[in-house]
Amino acid sequence: MPERVVTVVPEDGLHARPASNFVETASEYDIEIQVGHVDGDLVNAASMLAITGLGVTSGEDVRLVAEGAEAEAALDELERILSTPEGEG
Amino acid sequence: MTERRLSGVGATPLSGVGTAVWYAPDAELGSPPDPETIDADVERERFETARDVAREEIRAERERTAARLGEAEAEVFDAHVQFLDDPQITEGVEAAIDDGLPAEHAVDRTFEQFIERFEGMEGQMAERADDLRDVRDRLVRALGGGERADLGSLPEGSVVLAERLTPSDTAQLDPERVAGFATVTGGRTSHAAIFARSLALPAIVGVGAALRNVADGADVVVDGRDGALLVDPDEETRRETAGAETVEVRDGTVETADGTPIEIAANVGTEADLASAAERGADGIGLFRTEFLFLDRESPPGEDEQYETYREALETFPDGRVVVRTLDIGGDKPVAYLGLPDEENPFLGERGVRRSLGPDTDLFETQLRALLRAADEDAGGQLSVMLPLVATIDEVRQARETMESVAADLESEGVSYALPEFGVMIETPATAFLADALVENVDFFSIGTNDLVQYVMAAERGNDRVAALGDYRQPAVLRAIHTTVAAAQGTDVWVGMCGEMASDPEVTELLVGLGLDELSMSAVAVPQVKRAVSETTVTGARELAARALAACTKREVDCLLTETTQ
Repeated sequence: MPERVVTVVPEDGLHARPASNFVETASEYDIEIQVGHVDGDLVNAASMLAITGLGVTSGEDVRLVAEGAEAEAALDELERILSTPEGEG
Repeated sequence: MTERRLSGVGATPLSGVGTAVWYAPDAELGSPPDPETIDADVERERFETARDVAREEIRAERERTAARLGEAEAEVFDAHVQFLDDPQITEGVEAAIDDGLPAEHAVDRTFEQFIERFEGMEGQMAERADDLRDVRDRLVRALGGGERADLGSLPEGSVVLAERLTPSDTAQLDPERVAGFATVTGGRTSHAAIFARSLALPAIVGVGAALRNVADGADVVVDGRDGALLVDPDEETRRETAGAETVEVRDGTVETADGTPIEIAANVGTEADLASAAERGADGIGLFRTEFLFLDRESPPGEDEQYETYREALETFPDGRVVVRTLDIGGDKPVAYLGLPDEENPFLGERGVRRSLGPDTDLFETQLRALLRAADEDAGGQLSVMLPLVATIDEVRQARETMESVAADLESEGVSYALPEFGVMIETPATAFLADALVENVDFFSIGTNDLVQYVMAAERGNDRVAALGDYRQPAVLRAIHTTVAAAQGTDVWVGMCGEMASDPEVTELLVGLGLDELSMSAVAVPQVKRAVSETTVTGARELAARALAACTKREVDCLLTETTQ
């Protein structure tokens, strides 16, 4: 299953606008995408509630896992959101 | 009765006196009916319908908030749509329906689990609990679970007391009527606190359980500066607060103590604002935002409809000036019929005059026709047209050519019209740098400090993390203002200011010293600023401005201003 570990760059962490963008992008893919702390449980990447509940702050590493046809493309796009400082996306 | 003092966190440095009004949102849902009587398919359908209703409402609320308070405040509602469509929510509600609950109880139970979870967390996550409550209440209302308590029509002088206020609650508060609010929960960065600052409303958050003992109808003072709510205030406290905030309304032009007139105008964003601007003694309208004419509808307003609105504004100020800003809209606003582009950063995208000279040129021409016709009538004040988000001289020339061709059309049709004053908003650093060239092309400048600060300092409004940067007391901002005013000196071009800075009486003397001819602000601030102008001398103000312009840090500017106000 394709997966990768990404460091969260936006100052807000996975909150506010970066979280909105992340969830919106994850929902666009019709495959299962999960995200979580590196050593923690994974949650549905298309759920704003689940993402908010993770409480990921700037500078933390997160693990992204996807399964399905466009897994790599989805992970590329989500990685880009997490690695882009806010306002430069 | 002795005065009691409850401590909290001041959300705005403002004070207000009033009567406590407890705001209890919706009544509790009763106990659920017998599961045997529930048809799960029907309930699922009711839930789907309620979601559609709630989604539409959130969109409308977002538009209104963006127009009234600004984009940063409006973004809160984007997250609300995502909560509404969250798979954990929808799956949770459907499972609860399958357990035999009606849709409203299923919604309530599902949301409550998440609200409890977020409430136990710190900072930003705890605030999400307020967002969830907001979405839940909307859904329950859409399912017939009670009318929303109307915060928009409270008696004048109410101080709203509540456990908490959701973004939708706070956005409804009318600063003209409400004297302030105090909440049990919340911190300086909670939505309620941020909205209070945008509304310039006295507010205390995070008072704690002690607030619950304040009776409905009690006399209270909201002291935002010290972060305290005073219950049954002594006569002295009440007088001090009232004296500080309730300033006599002065009609007519105000002059500095040494005889220089300064025009004090109001910013308006709706037709209702016109009356309150006149009541508060504004000399005219320094910023008439026309976006409200275009939002919340299926197609753009026609020429006649706009003409009537502009006429009404001019008739409200028969001896004054009404500065109408042409449509200032961009990709951050959901106006379906405009087909606005989806842009990564709408604040640096195609908006304001860029659209008026591009895809919205037809709308621009219609708006100009209505404005030129309105400018002609005898009964009423003087009309001025102002362009938003100008960055180049070419834009100004092209807009003027459009206005002249509209005038030629009206002429050939035999329709009476007049050419209004023509000016630009100074809100991009580009216009400040180009001010000496722009004076050849315009009749006036109006410095829009909210955007100017944002663009000069590269710090967005409403973002607490960069609040110290996004401040109009920054030396770079003062210098941009100075450059603009200096370019107009010795010409016929007058210079005004619209934006938060103009409404702050602590900087009025500085602005007079910098050479502003006109200050335009939300109507509530007009009496205070008029008083501040009358207490200022131009000689003293110029000295202050010279020292402020020599300052290299915001700290030095702050010190200068504190010295003079004490």
